Amino acid sequence: MNEIKITAYKCKKCGHIHYPKHERCLKCKSREFEELKPEGNVKLLAYTQQFNLPWGFDERFLIIGIAQFENGVKALGQIKAESLGGIKSGMTMKPSWEPVRYVYGEPVYGLKFEPL
Amino acid sequence: MRDVAIIGVGMIPFGRRDEDTLVDMLAYASMHALDDAGLGDKGVDAVYVANMGGGILQHQTAIASALVDRLSLLPAAADTVENGPASGASAVKNGVLAVASGYYDTVLVAGGEKMREVTGWKATDFVATLTHPEVEYPYGITLPGMAGIFTRLYMEKYGLTREMLVAVAIKNQAMGALNPYAHVEMLITREGILDSPHSVVNNPAMADPLHLYDACPVSDGAAALILCPLEMAQELTKNVPILVAGFGQATDTHALQEREDPTDLKAVTLAAQQAFKRANLKPSDIDVAELHDAFTILEIAESEHVGFFKKGEGGKAVLAGKTKLGGQIPINVSGGLKARGHPVGGTGVAQLVELTWQLRHELPKERQVKNAKTGLSVNFGGFGNNVLCFILKRGGK
Ligand SMILES: [Zn+2]
Repeated sequence: MNEIKITAYKCKKCGHIHYPKHERCLKCKSREFEELKPEGNVKLLAYTQQFNLPWGFDERFLIIGIAQFENGVKALGQIKAESLGGIKSGMTMKPSWEPVRYVYGEPVYGLKFEPL
Repeated sequence: MRDVAIIGVGMIPFGRRDEDTLVDMLAYASMHALDDAGLGDKGVDAVYVANMGGGILQHQTAIASALVDRLSLLPAAADTVENGPASGASAVKNGVLAVASGYYDTVLVAGGEKMREVTGWKATDFVATLTHPEVEYPYGITLPGMAGIFTRLYMEKYGLTREMLVAVAIKNQAMGALNPYAHVEMLITREGILDSPHSVVNNPAMADPLHLYDACPVSDGAAALILCPLEMAQELTKNVPILVAGFGQATDTHALQEREDPTDLKAVTLAAQQAFKRANLKPSDIDVAELHDAFTILEIAESEHVGFFKKGEGGKAVLAGKTKLGGQIPINVSGGLKARGHPVGGTGVAQLVELTWQLRHELPKERQVKNAKTGLSVNFGGFGNNVLCFILKRGGK
């Protein structure tokens, strides 16, 4: 299992969790952050099955969703499923760090979610 | 600050324009606007050009410098404004501020895009370059994908239905069929895209729950307008001056995942509130609106966020006919982005050109909002992370 190479940033003053990075807290403007690694499984918050993919993808479609880790980090990722059957908002999924696309044959790693 | 008026407008038909370069299109629309204002043989002090993709799609930069030269408007000041799909309204905003401040008297704003010379693959990728480069773009998310995510959330939260989305598509394509500038001039029926067995073939899923007919086409096109101080309008033009009564602009998080409630388009609400405050008007004062319906869901969501309807009521309003010509608030009588098309840099300017025609009462009867005095536009950049709202008023203050 590859390590999930995501770093989130928790505001030391108000606790708001940021991913991606900001120079100042979106909520309180503080500049002090504690680095946070995503933990545990994720809960699916929103999703779509997307056809008409952009240049660089050979798949017929992608299922893409926004999910929240157990420690609050939210991130977008590709969902490992053959169809939307069985995919539901609120469901628990297992995150992994895998190639999400290839650029000139080289893999680009990112988040994937597998329905449990 | 001086009051600013639109005194001339021009547009070219949107669609697939293989024979024209990007600068050709901007030049034709600009000449129409200059002639319409009566400034065809004169110059302007400054030019703002809205364009998102020249650098990527045409491998051409500094479009404004190319356009002033092409139009022999030298030595006018010239700037290109790139602000994603909101480039058009952003360029108009810059022109308005320049005239309002007293620095320039006459300003040409032109917006355009040439998107059809690349494949659909490349065009989709080009628009997706506005997503977050680390946490969104690598995953292959597109603007239709974001709209799909947004639509499902809206359905879950407000009970929005596909029937409501289809009603927007049918209304806007019916109006587009009456608009000679529209890219798509084809009538569609509910049976053809929703109810019949053929609808599965005619209207396949694009980004579930959105389907092909929920999206605007990829278009070539350009539009332009001329601004001057309201107090100078009478000496410069014979046209009824159209006052820029107010505008607003607001931003939201770049990454969709960072919005506390992704169904809340905060930047739309804030931009509209600023525009209403500046214009000293309220949503019920507006006679006609051009909303940024790149996807049918956006017309519904924006109609709620600017204050025409309560949250969750916009879809029902479409089904009840409240947003059609003759309804409570006619929306996208031009056909909107859905039918007129969406040459990204051109859209924000085209919306204001359309509203100017409406407020000057110059459109054919079947497309004219009777006695329209006030108009509102929303130009929606990114996925709602940079939004402008304009309010125009007929005949001065
Ligand atoms: Zn904070």
